[in-house]
Parts: sequence; structure tokens; C-alpha cells
Amino acid sequence: MTDGLRLRGVHLSRGAITALRGIDLVVRRGELLVVLGPSGAGKSSLLRAIAGLDPVSGGTVAIGGRDVTALRPGQRNVSMVFQSYSLLPHLTVADNIAFGHRIRGADRRVAAARAAQAAATVGCADLLGRRPHQLSGGERQRVALARVLVREPDVFLLDEPLANLDAALRTRMRTEIRAVHDRLGTTTVYVTHDQSEAMALGDRIAVLRDGRIEQVDTPDEVWHRPRTRYVASFVGGPGMNLLPGVGPLRRPGVEATAVELGVRPEHVTLSSGISPVGPLGEVERVEVLGEDALVHLLVGGHPVIARVPAHTRPTPGDRVSVSVAEEHLHAFDTVTGERIPLPAEAAVR
Amino acid sequence: MNRDRRQLVLMLLPYLIGLVVLVLLPAAATMAMAFTETDLIATSRLIGVANFVELTRDPAVGAAVGNSLSYLMFSVPLRLVIAVGLALLLHRRARGAGTARAAVLLPGAVPELAYGLMWLWLLNPIQGPVNQLLMLGGQGGRTAFGTLPPQWLTDPEDARAGIVLMSLFTIGETFVIVLTARLALPPEAYELAELEGARAGQVLRRVTLPLLAPVLAVLVLRDTLMSLQASFVPTLVVTNGGPPPYATTYLSLVLYQDAFEYLRYGYAAAVAALMLGLTAVAVLIQWRLLRRWASHGVVGVGAQRPGN
Repeated sequence: MTDGLRLRGVHLSRGAITALRGIDLVVRRGELLVVLGPSGAGKSSLLRAIAGLDPVSGGTVAIGGRDVTALRPGQRNVSMVFQSYSLLPHLTVADNIAFGHRIRGADRRVAAARAAQAAATVGCADLLGRRPHQLSGGERQRVALARVLVREPDVFLLDEPLANLDAALRTRMRTEIRAVHDRLGTTTVYVTHDQSEAMALGDRIAVLRDGRIEQVDTPDEVWHRPRTRYVASFVGGPGMNLLPGVGPLRRPGVEATAVELGVRPEHVTLSSGISPVGPLGEVERVEVLGEDALVHLLVGGHPVIARVPAHTRPTPGDRVSVSVAEEHLHAFDTVTGERIPLPAEAAVR
Repeated sequence: MNRDRRQLVLMLLPYLIGLVVLVLLPAAATMAMAFTETDLIATSRLIGVANFVELTRDPAVGAAVGNSLSYLMFSVPLRLVIAVGLALLLHRRARGAGTARAAVLLPGAVPELAYGLMWLWLLNPIQGPVNQLLMLGGQGGRTAFGTLPPQWLTDPEDARAGIVLMSLFTIGETFVIVLTARLALPPEAYELAELEGARAGQVLRRVTLPLLAPVLAVLVLRDTLMSLQASFVPTLVVTNGGPPPYATTYLSLVLYQDAFEYLRYGYAAAVAALMLGLTAVAVLIQWRLLRRWASHGVVGVGAQRPGN
């Protein structure tokens, strides 16, 4: 079976700015790959390179085994949802969805029938006669999705499609997008800066930083075995605590002059017993997030965040003992930022 | 009156005073004057609708209405097409685009009288550069196709065409407005069309023109409003309403001659009322035609607010 999408050594620069620096990426046919990264990491540039909207300055793009690097966007058979949805204000919802078919010369009635079908798929069949300015943000988003679905392209490209929605709607639409994807099975690249969206949605996640891919893995792998310090600190809400300082470390296959230790806030245990089980930390701030609470501590001068059940939370000023189970420890080479496997890791999963 | 309202009124006041004193009062006075015989020498006297009755019989007015309408029919669409064409051509950053934009604006910066006098020379049938150009490759004062070049100042049809021709270069304002509107269109709309493989013609027809429609509609209305007056200076200095009897006599010229050459202010006021009426009718018809076409509420595509 051929790949859905394959990028080899893709470079993209515009003027003095280099957006992508050698991207190698394979998206399997039918897979939903989430590209995750902060703003400015090159996520949108990656989509634009795949779509052909920005010509790559190096490397190749292949869709379904066909090299499309030299092809214009219209010849690549990809569809894209823009963050702003980009509905045409002078067209009704039906005409907006049918836009692509009409451009490609389809019969008006055939295009309208297809549009109605696509609208039904994403639950906006009742909006067909309206115009974009009569729609709410969520409705616009559905229409933009319907427009992408209607053409049955080889690849869907979604550029932060939920970024303009409020939190509740975002969670609901995320589930719906996943459901539509499972039904249609179209190769999809989904860009977001929201790590919880990435975790919930992706078959795999590609973490992007400064135009380079740091890691491509399943959400589980990205969570449990972040390949770099950057991935560890970016993924998670909040990301992994990183404590400087041990080393040098020499083991068969490992040679690091200095090592950073990482532990997720979820894995930090706080106890306030008389006999401390770990180093003491001073509680600086506590943020309650409903069921859980984030406890900001200073441990030996280093900031550490712990996520604990809200009913067990300490109060600011408390001194608590901080402990971490060995299997939850991560180690990273301070110099290269690369992950260093620890002996206890094998036991984790 | 609360503070905000008072501030608003205070800020609008200078403009409102000007509007009342310089526009509304004179307009009202003109309308009143249309029912009088006024020459600023003898005492004015009310003569009822006599001026308007005379309007219907005046051959100069009859010709001027026809000429004004034909000017409007040719000049307004042509000016818009040229301005839109140039704006769409020059909206991209490209070598020479800045210079070209400036060149489009330049004719509008020439004082109207100088502009008119310049065309008097340009349109000279024998020495004028326009006809010199048209006669290139031709023999015996004819064009390369063996036809006579236009007799701009002596043939009625050619003279009217000349007046329209003169109006086609002062499109700077329209050009700038269309240029700005085009630059404000969301790039995503074009990328969307690009992803669908739209050709240039389809992009123009299905994206650019519909998105510009609200702006274009306003420009058509505005140009129509102005065009009845715009023909004044050229006809005054280039053709003086001729060739005789009334080939390029437009309403604005009739008004000027009646008022300031024949000192018939009352009658001229009636002509002004006619101009106002004609303009109102033209604008009303256009508004009806354009309203549906240009009524899609929002101009921008990317202007969505976040949330629900």
C-alpha cells in the first residue's frame, strides 16, 4: 500500500525567513496526523507546502505515491480548511460548498446535490440557504468542513480549524471531526497549537519546532517517551518539570556530560508526614482546576509544578515532602536535548 | 443632553454649519428662484411654473438632456472598467507598479482648466498628437485604413466622443478606492480558488468582482452623481457646446450660459432643478439594479469573530 502523503527534505523559505528546515514526514493512507507546535514553528507553512500554495525551496512532496512537487495547488487534489474558514460572503452556504465543483465545471444540479450530501455529513443541512454573515462561528466551521468533504480529495488539510471557537464547542467539534474522519477514512493533516486537541484527535502527532520535526509518534508515545526535552516541556498541561543538574553520565551506549531530569506534574507526589520521604519543597501558589489542583513549589531553589487531587492540596507557605516514583523519571541530555533511556523505563509499560 | 451627545454635536457643528450655509440654504434658494424671473437688475417676480414650461420647449435643454444621458451612459461604465482594470493590474508589488500607480493618478492632479486646454491641443484635428497617432501609416491625411481620422471639434458625434475620451483619464480617485478595496480582500479567498484550480477568468468572475461588488456599486452611484457636472469644464473650454447648434451642450453648460451669459437666474435655477431630478432618477434606477447584486452584508471573508 502506498503512503497517503510523503515529504522528503522539504525546505521552505520566504525572503529572509526560513519556515521549514528539512521536513521528512510520512502520513499513512487514511491516517489523521496532527501537527503540533507553538506559533511560528512552521505548522501553517507545512500545510501550505503540501497544498502547493507556497512553492518549496527544496525537497519533494508526494501524495498517494505521485510526486506533486512541481504541480500547482489545483492539480494536487487536496482540500484545505483555513483558520478563518474563508467562506465567500456573496454565496449561500450551498454555493460555498459547491464552489469547487462549479469551478471544475460540474453541472449546477449535480454540484448542489453533492453539496447537500456533504452538508448532511457534518450536520449543517438546514443551513444551505443562508449566507455566511447569518451563521455563528460553529456553523461557519461546519460549512467550511463540508466544503472540504464535498470534493473527495486525496488529502484533507486543516489549519487550526477550531481556534476561533469557544472551549465547549471546540471539544464537541473535535469529537465530530474525528467521527467524520473515521467514517470517510481520508488522509488528513491537522494543524493545531493545542496539545490536548492533538492528543485527543491524532492517530499520530508530529511535534514541530523552528521548522523541524522533533518527534512523530502516537499520542501515547509522545506522552510517555518524549524524544526531546522540548517535546517533554511542550506536551502536557502544564508540561514536564525539568530539573537541571546531574551527571556526567556514562553507560553503555550513553555518554552525556550533563543530564536533566524530567517528571510530569501528574507524577509528583506530595506528602506532609512527619518523616519526609523526599526533599522538602515550599508551596508558593495553588491553582484549583476543579477536580485537580496545580501546586507550584520551590524545591532546592528550582520551580516544580505538581498536579494533585484538589481535596489533598496544601496551602501556600506549607512545606511538603516531594517524591517521584522511579519509573516516572525521564532523563535528557542537557547539551543535545535528546532523551536518555533510564533502566526503570522498561517496567513502565 | 448627556456628555457624549453634546460632544458629538460639538464636533459635528462646524461641518453642519457649513452644510447648511453653503449647501442647503443655497439649494433651497435655487429651488425658490426657479419659480421667479430674476436677473439681479430688475426686481424678481414670481412667475409660477413658466420657467419649467419653457424648459420643455427649449431646444438647448432638449439637446442637453440627450447629450447628458449619452455622456452618462458611456462615461460612467468606461471609467469604472478602466479604473478596475488598472487597479487589478497594479495591485501586486511588481517592478514599476508604484510608478504606474502614480501615472494613473496624475491626470486628476492637473487643474481642470489646464486639463481642458491641454485636450484642446491634443484633439486638434491636424496638429493634435491624437490624430497624428491615428494617421500613422496613412496617406493624405487619412488613417492606415484609409478612413478620415475623427474630426473631434467639428463633427457632432466625434465631439461627443472626445468629451467622453477626456473623462477617461481622470479616474485616479476611483482607481485608488478599487486598489485599496482589492488589497483588503482576504488572501484565503484566492488560495481557496487556487486549490480548486480556478483559472484567472474564473477567479475574476467568481471571487474578485463579487467581493468588490459593494464598493463598485457605490462608485457607480458616485460617478453618476458627479458626471452631470463633470462635463462642464471640457465643454466650456474645448468645444463651447459646439459644434453648433448643441452637439456637446450638456445641462451644466446650459445652466452656466443661462445664468452668467444671459443673466436669466430664474431660468437657470429651473435647469438646476432639472439636473437634480435627472440625477435622482438615475441614481434611483441604479440603486434598484445594484442593491441585490451588492447586498451580501459583509465585505471581508476573513472577518469572523471568535466564539459561538
